[in-house]
Amino acid sequence: MKESTSFTRFIMNKLTRNLPATVVIALSLVLMVVLGAVGGMSQVLNTFVTGGMWALLAVGLALVFGVMNVPHFAHGESFMIGAYVAYWVFNPIYQTLGEHPNAFLEVVAPFIGFLAAAVVGFVVGVLLERIIFAPLRRRTKSGWVMNAFLLTVGVSFVLTNGFTLAIGPNFRGIPRYWNIDTLTILGANVSADRIVAFFLAMITIFALWLFLRQTRTGRAIRAVSQDETGAELVGINLDFVYVLTFGLATATAALAGASLLFMFQAYPTVGGKPLYFAWYVVMLAGLGNVAGAILGGFIVALLQTATQQFFGPSWEDVIPVAVMILVLIAVPSGIFGSEVKGVQEQ
Amino acid sequence: MTENATNEKKNGAGVWGRLTSALGAVGMTPLGVGLLILLAILPLVPPFSQEHMIRWLIMGAFLAAQAIAFDFTAGYINVVNFGFAAILGLGAYTSGILTNTNPSLAIQPGLSPWIGMLAGALVAGIVGFGLGVLTLRLRGIFAAVMAWFVGIGLMGLTRNMVDLTRGPLGMAPRKLFLGTTSNLPYFYVIFGMMVLIYVVLRLVTKSHYGLAFKAIGQNLDAARASGINPTKYRVLNFTLSCVFAGLLGGFYAHYFGSLTPQTLMHTSKTVEVLALAYIGGRGSMWGGMLVAFPFVFGIEYLRSSLTDLPGLHMVLYGVLMIVVMIFYPNGLSGFYYWLKEKIQSKSA
Repeated sequence: MKESTSFTRFIMNKLTRNLPATVVIALSLVLMVVLGAVGGMSQVLNTFVTGGMWALLAVGLALVFGVMNVPHFAHGESFMIGAYVAYWVFNPIYQTLGEHPNAFLEVVAPFIGFLAAAVVGFVVGVLLERIIFAPLRRRTKSGWVMNAFLLTVGVSFVLTNGFTLAIGPNFRGIPRYWNIDTLTILGANVSADRIVAFFLAMITIFALWLFLRQTRTGRAIRAVSQDETGAELVGINLDFVYVLTFGLATATAALAGASLLFMFQAYPTVGGKPLYFAWYVVMLAGLGNVAGAILGGFIVALLQTATQQFFGPSWEDVIPVAVMILVLIAVPSGIFGSEVKGVQEQ
Repeated sequence: MTENATNEKKNGAGVWGRLTSALGAVGMTPLGVGLLILLAILPLVPPFSQEHMIRWLIMGAFLAAQAIAFDFTAGYINVVNFGFAAILGLGAYTSGILTNTNPSLAIQPGLSPWIGMLAGALVAGIVGFGLGVLTLRLRGIFAAVMAWFVGIGLMGLTRNMVDLTRGPLGMAPRKLFLGTTSNLPYFYVIFGMMVLIYVVLRLVTKSHYGLAFKAIGQNLDAARASGINPTKYRVLNFTLSCVFAGLLGGFYAHYFGSLTPQTLMHTSKTVEVLALAYIGGRGSMWGGMLVAFPFVFGIEYLRSSLTDLPGLHMVLYGVLMIVVMIFYPNGLSGFYYWLKEKIQSKSA
């Protein structure tokens, strides 16, 4: 209970003190009403489902930047890995289910896929931190943010092309996770997959929030994001925090990839679009601002759905990015601000 | 600049000394000129005179020239232009549209490809100027992200302007040399462009502009405090780099004769150039140029001997870039200067 009030207070504080945020949120509400009036309830629900996913991805991105100061360009590849793992775990189970029907397994099978994706994602994240960032951290004296950024660009390049090389560029997809009729919510049809994807995103974000707020380890992570030297002075193991943060961020992105497999399919370059939409969110909200990323996710999704509604799906690559360029010109540190160490580093 | 001074001191008088200092004035060393002359006669020498080898040389020169123009921004003012490939694509499409004679597109100006290339460079330069202004207030990562967003937007726009560009289907601009199927004239065009870009940008960086660029790149606040106006220099730098990107795009359009947004303007194309520039050594401009040729040859050789491995060269690119960035951030040019210093200190 205490958490929810502090969250509300946080939002209210930002609203009254922060003009850009108020303007953007007010405009978003208007846009939402217009979208609902023109496109109907289904577009509103669409916004929420996509928004949940962009928020989940952006929270990982914001966390990594806030704690490690790494502008993560390979986040989309974590998404891609999650999609592949979910496919490889879910599809064999699905095939066996065709031969030996089992009602319980039918419901649970996708969750096994999600769990596997999250676990593999965590392991990949830990390995990346140890192999890539730990050596760089030992060697870099200045310009860490930019070096880390370019390094993740390289990682993204290697992973996409490595997957193409190893298993080819083929699309691996599934028609749906749950073979249930679509549900009707306020006159709009929504598939069970979308509803699960949305709640999975919300639950994961909430769990992450609780973890960061309530546990000792979570507090250690936040301490590092505020003051690295201070955190080290009070005996926090920095390496452990970095590894955990990167593992968690990669795991959440992999989970997003897994739960959206029915929408995106698994192929080596699938991470491109999720990556830049997640980046729109963090640039809108403020680099490294974890709480802002949640709201930002929904705003960006609204912009995306509205573009699809009013201009057609192909303009999805142009209009949201044009709006983000305007945001970057007006408020480079995002509408909720980013007071992260190293942001202004040359 | 100090290096130039020591060169002059070392070489002293004589014809050789005068030649070296004359070359130094346009940013060349005898070794560099020798390599360029070698490169110029390479496509006439038997193993390299086969058409596919000349094509590789063209690819190498194309990438080398891109690496120079990219490094001019990344290595000097320390802003990574993540929309570089999109700007290049803009030049290519401008030239493609202006030279179009195909009635299936909305307009058929049918200009000469040479004019088209210059117009492509001009349009890219104007957008580069705009990008320079946009990124002016932004530092490091923010500037890179802004350039990236602009690149995404340009690519999306190209894909959506179906009347002019045929969108994702791609367009087929006409070739630069209609009478011949030989690649040789194209090689000399791109070779000339590469040398031109190198000499022009080297002259700029050797003047006081280069010093200002480096100062801004190292510490913006300190540069401003010592009286350098960052606005002017950053915008100038972006504009110049993008003009040359547009010119190269024009060449691409009329050499390959096929343009699609995905193969030309995608961020991964920028990353290829970035990898070359960084492996060659930031802020040297010649490093990326030197690395491009063996790279293209190695990759094309791998590709032709292992046909069923798509993406292998990209993986190698990426891995090499990561290794260089972590363990040897100075790149090839850094190694060269280190070696030179070692030898000089030993002989002294």
